[in-house]
Amino acid sequence: MLSYQQLTHLHPVSSRSKGSLRWSCSRKRGLDGSLRRCDGQEKADQSQRCAENRSSSFTTPEGDGPMSRCADWASEVEQEEMRMGVRQDVQRYRRRILTADFNERERKTSSGSSECRDSPIPADMETDEAVLMRRQKQINYGKNTLAYDRYIKEVPKHLRQPGVHPRTPNKFKKYSRRSWDQQIRLWKVKLHAWDPPVQEGNDLQAIDEMDLDDVMEIELEACDSAESEENTQCSKNTKDTASIPADSCTGTPSKVMKTEANFDLS
Amino acid sequence: MENSSKEDYRIQSFDIETQKLLKTALKGQLLQFHKPSAVDLEKVSNVIVDQSLKDQVFSKESGRICYTIVQAEAKQSNGNVFRRNLLNRMQKEFKAREETRSRSIQEWVCYVTFMCNIFDYLKVNNMPMMALVHPVFDCLLRLAQPDALQNEEEVDCLVLQLHRIGDQLEKMNEQRMDELFFMLRDGFLLQQNLSSMARLLLLEILEFRAGGWRLSETAHKYYYSEVAD
Repeated sequence: MLSYQQLTHLHPVSSRSKGSLRWSCSRKRGLDGSLRRCDGQEKADQSQRCAENRSSSFTTPEGDGPMSRCADWASEVEQEEMRMGVRQDVQRYRRRILTADFNERERKTSSGSSECRDSPIPADMETDEAVLMRRQKQINYGKNTLAYDRYIKEVPKHLRQPGVHPRTPNKFKKYSRRSWDQQIRLWKVKLHAWDPPVQEGNDLQAIDEMDLDDVMEIELEACDSAESEENTQCSKNTKDTASIPADSCTGTPSKVMKTEANFDLS
Repeated sequence: MENSSKEDYRIQSFDIETQKLLKTALKGQLLQFHKPSAVDLEKVSNVIVDQSLKDQVFSKESGRICYTIVQAEAKQSNGNVFRRNLLNRMQKEFKAREETRSRSIQEWVCYVTFMCNIFDYLKVNNMPMMALVHPVFDCLLRLAQPDALQNEEEVDCLVLQLHRIGDQLEKMNEQRMDELFFMLRDGFLLQQNLSSMARLLLLEILEFRAGGWRLSETAHKYYYSEVAD
């Protein structure tokens, strides 16, 4: 083993002037366990400070900076869950579009025409994750209702008629903020037609399910006659969507998760 | 089933009322017939957390119980009241961990075990919850500090958690795992008041990680063959 003197000769002057060996400078602690006074010291302090602050501000390694930073773990987890769901939806939607697009072109090629691209191409798709997350959240509010549950049980997808039956707005289509918010509002109002009958027992549950949005919508609808024209135009737009069903996106946990665990407690 | 007798023992350590509540929740009866009341689920989560903080054996298994309840609630009513309350409690305890540790090492160790168990079992789309990664590391790093390494209880907890979730944690954040292992090496080499058991545990975990989170056959023979004898 080299002596101290031999070691110092091996190292450039700059490190010697720091007053310690380069090797020992990278040692965080001395023999007594205390942190060493050198460059390492500041870093150690910082990482300690970071460790204390870490629980309050956390960003994912993917750098989803613009996402709202949750102060609590529960919200973080819920947001993470939604983000994963949205990403899966994006993949699925893309595949669906490309398949439909491909089939469309196949059909047209065989019948002679070569250039038609009527079906929406993925380039026109909304891919901004922040937007998709916000939209998904709004959709989830609408789907987490007794009305929606009753609706989907009563009217299977293949029996749904445009205009008559509410249709979940397609979060992947490009819409302005106002247009989208309006579509959501109209959709939720339409869903109210499937609200459970108001009875003793159901009262509380019905109240639980209604969130502020719903209450505000109903009030808006009631006093807003001037906008009725705009409303009908908007609902027309939702009808003219592509052949791909608008509510193919699943944001609700029940569809994503499966109960696998077999826990017997007899 | 082999496990059921162990679980029974644990349930009996609660008072009768709580036993009933837990049993119904766990058998899914509560969740089967009607939308679970948010209050019931909160109570269940509190009971589980409280017990996990007291009983180390329970804290190793409670992750599985929680997973079952979370799944059942999601399936029955799309809710996550249970998970939300569970995480809120865990976060509260996390903020008070230093006090807990100074009050009772046993409780502190139970908390870390519980937290790591939750991290292991409560996955979101088969991925560990990102929100817990840093807090788990914070706890493990605390266990790797000199004052903690003096207590065999804490060293034992640390290596146990690393055996169970080390590889997953490393995938989520390799840098912090490196940071932790710098501390473990330092502790092993430099700390003078470590018991020989503590040193053994540390050496084993160093080899464990170096081997890609598994022990080579010869290392296994070295560390564990004496148990059989």
